[in-house]
Parts: sequence; C-alpha cells; structure tokens
Amino acid sequence: MEKMSRVTTALGSSAISGRTMFCHLDAPANAISVCRDATQVVVAGRNIFKIYGLEEEQFVEKLNLRVGRKPSLNFSCADVMWHQMEENLLATAATNGAVVTWNLGKPSRNKQDQLFTEHKRTVNKVCFHPTEVYMLLSGSQDGYMKCFDLRKKESVSTFSGQSESVRDVQFSMKDYFTFAASFENGNVQLWDIRRPDRYERMFTAHTGPVFCCDWHPDDRGWLATGGRDKMVKVWDMTTNRAKEIYCVQTIASVARVKWRPERKWHLATCSMMVDHNIYVWDIRRPFIPFATFEEHKDVTTGIVWRHQHDPYFLLSGSKDSTLYQHMFKDASRPVDRANPEGLCFGLFGDLAFAAKESLISGDANRKPYPGGDRRYPIFFFKKPDLTEQFAHVSSALSVFESSLESKRMDWFVKTARLYLLSGKSFAELCDHNAKVAKELNRPQVSTTWTMLRIMFSDPANLSTPGPNHIGKLGTLPLMNSFSMKEMGMGTESRLDRSKGESRQDNIHLELGNSLINNICPTAENEETEGSEGQAEYMFGDAELDDDDLYSMEHDNQAAEEQEYTLPQEAFPLRHEIMDNPLAPEHLQQDKADSPQASGNEAEVMCLTPIESFSLISISQPLFSPHLPAPFFCPVVREMLSHYAEQGDVQMAVSVLIVLGDRIRKEIDDLTQEHWYMSYIDLLQRFELWNVSNEVIKLSTCSAITCLNQTSTTLHVNCSNCKRPMSNRGWICDRCHQCASVCAVCHHVVKGLFVWCQGCSHGGHLEHVKNWLKSSSHCPAGCGHLCEYT
Amino acid sequence: MFVARSIAADHKDLIHDVSYDFHGRRMATCSSDQSVKVWDKSDNGEWNCTASWKTHSGSVWRVTWAHPEFGQVLASCSFDRTAAVWEEIVGESNDKQRGLSHWIKRTTLVDSRTSVTDVKFAPKHMGLMLTTCSADGVMRVYEAPDVMNLSQWSLQQEISSKLSCSCISWSPSSSRAHAPMIAVGSDDSNTAYSGKVHIYEYIENTRKYAKAENLMTVTDPVHDIAFAPNLGRSFHVLAIATKDVRIFKLIPLRKESAAGSSGPTKLQVQILAQFDNHNSQVWRVSWNISSTLLASSGDDGCVRLWKANYMDNWKCTAILRGDGSPVTGSSSQAAVPSTAGGPQHVLLQASSAGRKKAQLIPG
Repeated sequence: MEKMSRVTTALGSSAISGRTMFCHLDAPANAISVCRDATQVVVAGRNIFKIYGLEEEQFVEKLNLRVGRKPSLNFSCADVMWHQMEENLLATAATNGAVVTWNLGKPSRNKQDQLFTEHKRTVNKVCFHPTEVYMLLSGSQDGYMKCFDLRKKESVSTFSGQSESVRDVQFSMKDYFTFAASFENGNVQLWDIRRPDRYERMFTAHTGPVFCCDWHPDDRGWLATGGRDKMVKVWDMTTNRAKEIYCVQTIASVARVKWRPERKWHLATCSMMVDHNIYVWDIRRPFIPFATFEEHKDVTTGIVWRHQHDPYFLLSGSKDSTLYQHMFKDASRPVDRANPEGLCFGLFGDLAFAAKESLISGDANRKPYPGGDRRYPIFFFKKPDLTEQFAHVSSALSVFESSLESKRMDWFVKTARLYLLSGKSFAELCDHNAKVAKELNRPQVSTTWTMLRIMFSDPANLSTPGPNHIGKLGTLPLMNSFSMKEMGMGTESRLDRSKGESRQDNIHLELGNSLINNICPTAENEETEGSEGQAEYMFGDAELDDDDLYSMEHDNQAAEEQEYTLPQEAFPLRHEIMDNPLAPEHLQQDKADSPQASGNEAEVMCLTPIESFSLISISQPLFSPHLPAPFFCPVVREMLSHYAEQGDVQMAVSVLIVLGDRIRKEIDDLTQEHWYMSYIDLLQRFELWNVSNEVIKLSTCSAITCLNQTSTTLHVNCSNCKRPMSNRGWICDRCHQCASVCAVCHHVVKGLFVWCQGCSHGGHLEHVKNWLKSSSHCPAGCGHLCEYT
Repeated sequence: MFVARSIAADHKDLIHDVSYDFHGRRMATCSSDQSVKVWDKSDNGEWNCTASWKTHSGSVWRVTWAHPEFGQVLASCSFDRTAAVWEEIVGESNDKQRGLSHWIKRTTLVDSRTSVTDVKFAPKHMGLMLTTCSADGVMRVYEAPDVMNLSQWSLQQEISSKLSCSCISWSPSSSRAHAPMIAVGSDDSNTAYSGKVHIYEYIENTRKYAKAENLMTVTDPVHDIAFAPNLGRSFHVLAIATKDVRIFKLIPLRKESAAGSSGPTKLQVQILAQFDNHNSQVWRVSWNISSTLLASSGDDGCVRLWKANYMDNWKCTAILRGDGSPVTGSSSQAAVPSTAGGPQHVLLQASSAGRKKAQLIPG
C-alpha cells in the first residue's frame, strides 16, 4: 500500500515525494498556501496560523505565527497567501478587515511585517502578483479591492466594484496588469491595475454569489469560476465578450476552484456546505468527477496543488481540523464504480440493452475482422493513460426483440384467452383446454389435461366402449413394465436445448414408481371386498405413504437414473394413450369380463407427467375399476406444485379452478392464494383484464374474491328527482321510485345499465345504443343531449 | 432469435440503467448527463422519446417504475445524494401535440449523505413503498402512507452495514407465507469482507426489517442483484452479477412454531449456477417475466441468456452482441456482408449449434 502510493516526481532541480498523509491541527483551517519550492505549507484560520514542513512520511510543524498571550483579531485569518517569488513573504486577510504581511526572515518571534487596516469589513481574499514582488491585492466584504505596494504604508489604489461584496481576486497569468474579481451578486469583473476608476469588462457569470475564480496556469486566457449555483464555468476571456466554453454541474455550492497543473482540462473543486469531498473534474466530461478525495469529515476550506508543475499532489485543509496531502493515485474514481451498462427484460421477452460504446466496439476489435475497426485504436494498448480514457464517453441503446413466438410470451396470452375455466362439464373443459394446449404446441400440458379428465371423470357417466377400443388396448406393449417416454418438450424450451444431451429420469418417476408399488399390495388385498370401502382406505394409505416415498426417492435415485433413459421409439405410443382417454374405462369393461384376473393383470394407469419435459406412463396391475377420484389427489397435488415451482402458475391455477372441489382441500389456502395472486398479477401485466376478472370470480379464496369488491364506487343520481342516491338499493329514498328504470322500455333494468352522467337518465345498454343511433336527445324526453361513447 | 433495434438515445454521457414499465410498453433510461428519458413504444414497434428532462445535479444511477396502479410514476437516484420520485402529468395539450409528456418532481429524498446507488419500488401488494441504498452502506425504506399523495414519504427504517451498497432488489412474492424480503448487494472491493449480499426480512412483531441471511460465498464486488418473478413458487430465486453470474435458490424453512415470528425465517441457500463466461466484470442481470430466462451483461459488451433445463441445469442459450448503431465502421460491415441497405444489424450466436447468424433489418 505504502509502496503503491509513494510517488517521486522529478521537477527540474527539486524532487517531490511523499504519500497520502494528514496531521491534526489545533483548530479548523480557513485557508492554506504552499511556498514556491513545495516544501512547506501555511495553514490559517480563525484560531490557527502555522507553518508545516512537508516531509516524506509526515507533516512537521515548523513555526507557529500566532504569538502573544492574547492574539489580536489580526491573527484571525480568512485567507492566506505565500508569495511565489519571495519565500519569506506571506500575506493574510483578517476577519476584522486588516490585511497583514509577514516576513519569515525576521529574527523576532513575531513575524508580522506590515498592517493595513483600510477595509471596513472582513477581507475575503489576498493575492500577490505572480511576478511583481511588492504588489498585493485584496478583496473585501465591503465591496472594495485595494492594491498595496509593500514598500508603502498605504494602499496605492482602490477599486470599487459597485456590485456588493468581493469574494475573490486573482491576478491574470497572461496579462501583467489584469486581474479578475468575483462578486456576491454573480458578477465577474476584469480590471486593469493601472486604471482604478472603472473595470474593463463585467459579465454575470452565475446566479447567486461567485465564490471563487482561477486563471488557467497555461496562460490561455481561460478563467474558471465557481458559484453557489453549484456550477463551475470556464470562460474564454480572449474574445471581446467573455464566452462560456465549459460548464460543470457539481452537487453543492462551489467554494474553491483550482486548475490542475500540467493538465489542460482538469480542475479541482471543493464545496463550502454539505459536501466534504474534493473533486477533480475533466471539463470535457462535466457530469461525473474524474477523481474524488473523500478523506475529510467536515467542509473542506482550502485546496492547493503542492507544486505548480506537479499534478499528483494536492493539499487540503478543512473545518475538521486536519491538513491532508492527497496522492492522485489514491483518489477514488467514481467512474470506475459507475455502471457502464443497463439491461432490462421487457414483458414480451424483448431485451433493452444500453452499453458504453467502447465496450461494444472493443469487443468487435478482438475479432479478427479483415478491415478491423480503427476508430478505437486506444484499445490495442495494454494500459492507456486513464486521463486520456476519460473524456468523450457515450452509450449505445438498443432493444433486442425476440422473433420467436415462444419467447414473446404469446403462448401465455393465447392460453389465457382460450382456456375455458367454467361453463361446461368437467370433461368438456379438460378436453377443450387439452386441445388449446396442443394447438399451441405444448403437448405436455395438453396431456396433463387429458389425464385429469381421465382421473376425475365420473365413471358412471362413461359410455360403454366398443370392442375396437379393447383391441387397441391390447396392443399396448408396455404392460407389466414401467416406461417413461420422452415427450416433445414445450416449444419454449426445445430449441434452446442441445440435442445430444441425454435425458435422464428424475425423482418423480421414482415417486410414481414407489407410489404404485406401495399401493398395489393394498389394492390387491382389498380387491375382493368391494370397492366402496376400498376407496377410503386407499386414499388414506396413499397419504400415509408420502413420507416413505420421499425417502425412497433419495435411495433409489442414483441407481435408477440410468435405467429409464428411453428410446425415441416410444413416441407413437403416446398418441394411443392420448387419443384414447377412455382407456381405463374400457379396462373396466374388460375386467368385468374377467373379474378375478383384475388384481394381477397388467392394465394401464396413466400417471400425470409430473416432470415438465417428460411424460411418464406406467403400466401396472390395475386396481379397482372404480378407482375413486380422491386416489389421484396426492398425485395431482404433486403435479400442481410441480407446475407452480417450475413457474407455470397459469397451469396450476387453471387446473385448480377446473377441478374445483375435487382438489381444493388438498392444497392449503395460503398456497392457493399465492398462486391466484401471482396469476392475476401476470394477467394484469398482459392487460388481460377479462381473464383476470374471470379468475377472480371463479376463485374460492376469500382473499381473492374480495379483490373485485373493493375500490369501485358508483355515484348514481336518481333518474326521477336527479338527486344523488344515498342508500344502497335502487329505490330512491326521496321520491321512492325505482331509479333503474329503462328510459326506452320503462322496465326495470337487470344486467347492464347505462346512464348519462349529465341528466341521470339511462336504461338497457342495447336500448339506449339503438335510441341514440337515431336521436341525439335523451330518450326520457328531458331535452338533454346525451352522448354514448 | 433476436433482432436488434437500435435507438438513438442521444444521452450526453453513459447510460447507467434501462427499465421497462409494468406492461412493457414504456421504457426509461438514465444517464450520467443528469437526465432521464422516457420512451414509448409506438404501434409499429418503434420507440419514441416522449420526455427528457434533467433530474439531478449528478450522475443518475438508476431509474425504476412504480406499479401503474399508483399512476405513471418513476423513481431515480443519483450521485448528488438524493433520490427523487416523478409523476407524469397528462392534459397539457401543447406538449401532447408534439408527442411530449410532462414529468414533475413529487419528492426528493435527501437523507443520504453519499451517492444513492439504487432505488426500487416494493411489490404492489405492500402499498407504495420504496427502498434506497447508498455508497456509505445505508439502506433506507420509505413509505407513502397515502398512495394518492406522492409528495409525502416517511422514512420507515434505516439499516447500516459497513459495506458500500450498490444494488437492491425486493422479493416479488405476494404470498402471505413469505415475509417481505429485500436483498442488498455491495460493491466494496475488499474481498476480505466476505458476504457481499445481505438479505433482510420483515419481522411482523417488531415491524422492522432484520438481517435474515448473508451470502458468505459471494466475496467479490456485486454490481446487480435481481429476484426472479415468483409466480407462485414456494422458494425464491436470486441472480447476482459479480465477477461472474450466480443464481441462488433460497428456500424458506418452515418455522417450528407459527407464532414465533420474532426472528427472521431461516433460509436454506443453494447455489444453482455460477458462470464466468463473460470473462470479466458482470454489470447487470435481468429476468424475463416467466423467470425462465436470465439475461446478463458484462464488460465484454455481450448479453448472454441463461436457461435451465428440467434438471435445473443452467446453460447459456444465446450470446447477443451488437449495439445496433448505424454501420459506419468497417468492422460491422465485415460482420454483416451487405449493410448498405440497412443501418441496423444484429449478430446472434446460438451457443448450442455453435453457428452465427446475421440478420438484416430494413431501417
């Protein structure tokens, strides 16, 4: 760490080295200044006035200029400046209006040299001429600037800004005679030191006080100003009218601004309120600081670059009574933490992506294109200078739209629209939904519906099967064996899957497997005793077995995984089952012929495809022909949970609604409510309001059904007396007439009632629509011009 | 297959965030240039900028939409240490004719003393709430007690961690079995502080959020974090963008006593997937609505799509590259042989098939 931050810079004769370091001061600092050879720094404040030596590892206190038992107010400094030509000469601006110069060469303890008490109020700023030894300039709260010749006892000239308090004065680097002054009313003035009668130029730089200004060190005639309006502006003063060429928006009022040495575009700022950090900006990228120094715990009051030709050392003093030397290497770079990319998935599967252009093109450069992109040659270099990388950054925004229907969630919308959830018999609903799923190329979902129909259809209602069905059944080669068939996977995933991947069985097969195994003996034993009692027994048994099943899964999983990888040839068989939803019922018939055999004979029972990409069908010794619906409940519950865990809440909710009471008690209310809420939220996202409403209506969760009963308020006027209806019914409590009479047919409206908000008359939707086709007047004859929109 | 539609965003600096609204028809972008832009999708699928305004006096890190039930409302957060809530005002006929809408600031949340790095609205069923997190490691929960009044927000809770926070995500689950949950990621670069993702859960008894879990295995800076849409699941899925893409499964363990809700639910944490295919810093992760696809973007300038098979094996299904910008340089021309006719292009690589496909979209 220390090694990292130690920097030695060779600057002609002198060399600067050091590290990030700080020292505690006795009191808050107001201003700091360095001597020309960058070896010492003076700190001045209301209760402090000291000189520190800058050593490699630490600050060393060299001299306390604040002497005497009871220091006068002259020691209370608002500003301090160390002369850049004469190393023994300092000037301070006192809060009582005095301008004091100090001569470090004096032998006595008190180094005070000259005292000018001409200003009436606090002096905000003192400034030595950059090349002239004896010329000192001051700017005060009283609105005047004074120029002193240090060889004389009084000021040589007084400049009246005539625009409120002076906050800063700075001699120009370019013109020997020119200085700039900034004012509290937002103005900046340029003066010729020889002409105290009037300014050469004045312009309004900021709204609100201009707290500081700084000339560019490389004499370009650029002046940076900072104001309470949180902005730093850079002005080109070489033209006739001062022209704003750059503007940096900071997050707090700007108290100090200092150009960074040897860096044309950089400047450092600090704030006088709220913000304690020091920022270094690249004015070409005015939105985000190039570097930040975050060490101070209170307002930073003074910043100064340690050496006028060294850009890596910054000194700062603060109200938190510390003096810091900051190394540029240790600065934090906000832009490094700034996210260069934005990414968001849209509802329809489109993907918005914004990225720094250099990232995209940088990537392109890595590809060996024949005519490689030469626009960004900088990326060929290993580590370009950070300062060069900073400017001119922008992002490219694009939206990737998926052209595959499955990715666009069309299947969801279509499924939601086309599914029937009520209004027909259970079997019809299942068939319809199976068909819908099949048409949308979701065979697994389709099969699930078909199986649900098989499981829960009332055997009594089934038609007697023809002999051909039995024949078909006989062709099933899967009897007495488990088999798992690969179903075509849902389109939404099939394309993305690598084809060669071997499909493996999963725990749910074992579940089915062991479920059957566990139940079968029971079924066989009970077989002879008649089916009524058996139903109860089996249901309970299956429930109890649940826990065992889970443990078995884990034991068997590894061993069985390999065995159930099935060949594609099993595919056609699926259709046999799907096209013969009646198969089990035929089996009943079959069994009726040979009842004794039923217990042992292999017959078909379909289990639900619990796993999303595989269909398990199992041939097993069949149980009773009148297999009761509750027998399947645990399986269906598993299946629903599985769909939900896979994220297909649509399936879970649709099945839940269609099955209704058959399954409801199997699933705890909290889970049901969760599924409903999730599904309704999805439907509303896709603006499927009607479907959403239907689901809410059909749900049996009290928390869901009440969704429809909140937040809709109707304000109705009585159509007779035109006063607001106050009670809940449709009888007006003032005129005791029914308010919902159709104005066209004069009957009480039941169902859709439409009324005019202007005259309160209305009626059957159809009647009013028809009426208003031929007439624009109210059908009640009140003369109101009603409008149906 | 994806086709890229390039949008001239005209932001003056980096775009830091893109966000779709609830119905997927509007989009908001925010940038370091201190502005937010709102884009509306026209009937022919083009995105038009309908509003652009200066939101902050510093870089705007994130922008996010509230549920439309609360109106057309955006929240933004910025380097300038504030977060702001904006509402669209309709009915200004002048602007409407020019296809522009007007957004006004409803509130400024000024509690943070450092850069506010993320802001997120809570799921709708919790009411109008939002959280912010800031670079000094403070997460704040705000609530608007009156959903009709967007200018009044009360600070519900402040949670300080020592690590600077970079991103935040609400668990979208609306189940009453799941307590409200917030995940916060930290981009602190010191890997010695392990556990860059903290998960907080609402404790009914104290009415406060308390730390439920700390993902100790995540030690590198985290830049983005996203809960997958819940869709009726009993568990949570969390994607994390750090030096790689990680997907975690958080399974709430049932409590022994239902009444003892004094502490947070124990979570069983499983890592589902971890990918370093970006070979660089991953900046963003985003889930599709059915939570079957995860998109991630990294310093390599690519978007990768991840998908799980039925075995919960996650695989990369596509790599999307291309800024969709007008083709001026030669490199893009090399990628798409005849770009003269169309200014927009896309490059898609299907990883499974291992082939590249280029498609030309007429501009």
